[in-house]
Amino acid sequence: MHSLIQGVILGVLTGGVYALMASGQTLIFGVMKVLNLAQGAMVILSAYLAYQLHSSFGIDPFAAIPITTAGLFLLGVTVEVLFLRPLRREDRAELSLLVTFAIALLLEGVMSLVWKTNYRSIDTSYANGSWTVFGYQITLVRLWAFLMSAGALGLLYLLLNKTRFGRAVRATVQNPESARLLGVESTRVSAFGFGLGAATAAAAGSVYGLLYAFYPGSHYDLISLLLSIIILGGLGSIGGAIIGGLVVATSSAIVASTVSAAWSPMAFFAVLIVVLLVRPRGLFGTAARGAI
Amino acid sequence: MSPLLEVQDATKVFGGVRAVDGCSFTVQGGTVTALVGPNGSGKTTLFNLITGYLPPDRGQVRFRGRDITGLDAGRLYRHGLSRTFQQARVFPHLSVQENLVAAGGYSWRQLFTRRVGRADRERAGRLLEEFRLAPVADLLASELSYGQRKLLEFAAVLMSEPSLVLLDEPTAGVNPVLVETMERHIRERHAAGITFLIVEHDMGFVMRLCDPVIVLDRGKQIAAGPPADVQANQLVLDAYLGS
Amino acid sequence: MKGVPGMARAVVFFALLASLPSFNLAHWVLNLLVFTLIYAVMSSAWNLVGGFTGYPSLGHAAFFGVGAYAVALWFKHHAITSGYEPFVVLPMIGLFAAVLGIPIAAIAMRTRFDVFAIVTITLLFVAQTLAFNLHGLTGGAQGISITVAPFPPATFERPYYYVLVALLGLAMGITFLTMRSKLGLSLAAVRADEDKARGIGVRVTGVKLLVFAVSVGLTAMVGAVWAYYESFIYPQFAIDPLITIAIVLMTFLGGRGTLWGPVLGAGILEGAQQLFAYWLGGSQVYLIAYAAVFLVIMLLLPRGILPTIQDRIRRRRRRGTVNAVAVPPALPRAEVTVGGGAA
Repeated sequence: MHSLIQGVILGVLTGGVYALMASGQTLIFGVMKVLNLAQGAMVILSAYLAYQLHSSFGIDPFAAIPITTAGLFLLGVTVEVLFLRPLRREDRAELSLLVTFAIALLLEGVMSLVWKTNYRSIDTSYANGSWTVFGYQITLVRLWAFLMSAGALGLLYLLLNKTRFGRAVRATVQNPESARLLGVESTRVSAFGFGLGAATAAAAGSVYGLLYAFYPGSHYDLISLLLSIIILGGLGSIGGAIIGGLVVATSSAIVASTVSAAWSPMAFFAVLIVVLLVRPRGLFGTAARGAI
Repeated sequence: MSPLLEVQDATKVFGGVRAVDGCSFTVQGGTVTALVGPNGSGKTTLFNLITGYLPPDRGQVRFRGRDITGLDAGRLYRHGLSRTFQQARVFPHLSVQENLVAAGGYSWRQLFTRRVGRADRERAGRLLEEFRLAPVADLLASELSYGQRKLLEFAAVLMSEPSLVLLDEPTAGVNPVLVETMERHIRERHAAGITFLIVEHDMGFVMRLCDPVIVLDRGKQIAAGPPADVQANQLVLDAYLGS
Repeated sequence: MKGVPGMARAVVFFALLASLPSFNLAHWVLNLLVFTLIYAVMSSAWNLVGGFTGYPSLGHAAFFGVGAYAVALWFKHHAITSGYEPFVVLPMIGLFAAVLGIPIAAIAMRTRFDVFAIVTITLLFVAQTLAFNLHGLTGGAQGISITVAPFPPATFERPYYYVLVALLGLAMGITFLTMRSKLGLSLAAVRADEDKARGIGVRVTGVKLLVFAVSVGLTAMVGAVWAYYESFIYPQFAIDPLITIAIVLMTFLGGRGTLWGPVLGAGILEGAQQLFAYWLGGSQVYLIAYAAVFLVIMLLLPRGILPTIQDRIRRRRRRGTVNAVAVPPALPRAEVTVGGGAA
């Protein structure tokens, strides 16, 4: 029982970070109907940037967030403008996916070149600190990461619901045709939407290095994980991504603490299969097959 | 006589928007029934519910007396229920002839036979003749004009020899000559025994061709009957003019 | 590829291929040819799922690994009696992988093509994890070995070469028959507009499963040949994302959904890849190079080499005839709108 609850605590804390990464990806899907295969690579890139800022300038990863977020937002916008927008309309659906895949590979290659392929992680003074509450251990780093993620998600919520840009995004997600008719500039929404998705990856990525060791190839596991989360939550639903992130992280942690740590990375895979078999549209997704 | 198609209390909600809201109506066999209503009244969604492209949240659909609610679109097609789409969905990189053959249905064993065999050519040929598409039979569907694509889509869904065909805005975006052509084809096929349910905005077309006319507003039926009656119905006028 | 000229082309091609080893080629050339054939067969196999059906599998390398491990494991428990025995068990391995592929496809292909792509990446990741973790079965990170083939060193590559040529013939034969049959028509419909295809009675699920099974069966057979050729397999090379990336790129370059496209792509890129490896080494640069070529192709030559050429020819032919038919731009792949629309 104890290990079960410990697992749940660990899962929820980690789940916040996953939820943040997944929200960005599901947002991109909602706005552009494109699955961004580079989301994982962007998280890792941000992790490397935070790592570098920490080792070269002693900047704390949390403090590095504004820097990495701004940087990756620009990267996201650039990618959309340079590589996604020029795709001809008839190719766009099929090719956008592979274009983002190519971007992921490009990022992986560049990261391998710059930082080599050995595992890194970020070591701060408080990295090993933890509180013990009612006999359960709460790692400080995970707690701060969770709080940061919650804060970032809150900001995202405000952005999407209280600003004009946010309204434009939501309109585009719900009904691109009508949105366009109402004067929403879909190109701008796409670019900024993609940038926003990248920014969430950056925020999560900055603290990723505090939680896990990583190397350039880590993006494959990440993208698989993120997919499970957004499928569970329902493509395009941010609320779903949040719940999905919590569920997947928690199941993973429970497996780790009760069964074995070696198999916990597979927990998300089990979740994915179950979702695909039982309810492919996920918790909050709309129609399963392409609605017209 | 029991109706060919019965929709009972169909409901579909999209995140707060009740696209179809407890909608009920029937379509009698042998008619050319129109389904009209202002924009947003749920007509296309209703088509999707009836033909198996979307499962309803609540409600029932019966075809020939059997419950077909939520059944797969392909299965319904094979049992005589066809539909077309607003945007004239055809297979752009296949030829006109191939588009027809693809809709012709085939068994598992036939998967390994010729892509377009003689029997296929004959069957498709008859439809090509009927719809005057024979001259463009070998062109890719993407090379056709919009109007021709609509005709192609219509022809293709007749390959299964359906008893009920749902047409989603068959005259939208086409020139007046083609409107006449469409009307003629519908009449001819109707005379041959096919029942039609047509979503339309072109009121002239509806008045000339359809009886009865079913009016939807905000996902519900508000009137049904012969075109003249419906035209004079106050509820209908209010719905369109938005009181 | 139509009728007699097409047949003639194929015959000449395979005759040429078959004759190559008789010339006294250097070992590194034969080795290059072997790998080109490996990729040509795999690209052709991938083309069935990724090109004709429009489902870009990004995890095909997992089945390459399945084939590799299958042959290694088979001969762990059955002593090799003749140098050719591993080739004899190839069909069995292919069948095994195909059967394995069916339930996988049943789950993975339930969703849209883009979700499918990521599910296949997941598959690759899971396969790699299993290869590393199931020590008892796969030898884990230590890898697993197969008896070195007893072929004379002077002509070592030949048996593999010929077997691969045969596999290429098989893959291309299957592709050709598919294109010419109702199966090909169904796949084209699925690729263009799956929901519409389903709605007009095309057996969408069935054909997807069939094609996937055949595709991974072929891929596994290639993996088995490769394993025997190398006689030692490590999990990171047997189940390597770079393999998938290479075959996707080759098929894209040559032209998806064509008969010769994947072969052309493999020919061009494998030579380039070996050249790169010689000059630059190190997979980091590979990756960047692949990614860059990928992006260039998708932005400038999205249909690939062969379809672009075919298009040009077709357009030139059309210009000759005065057409009363308007030529509107090509329609996009059916847009899937999530969420309700008005009316």
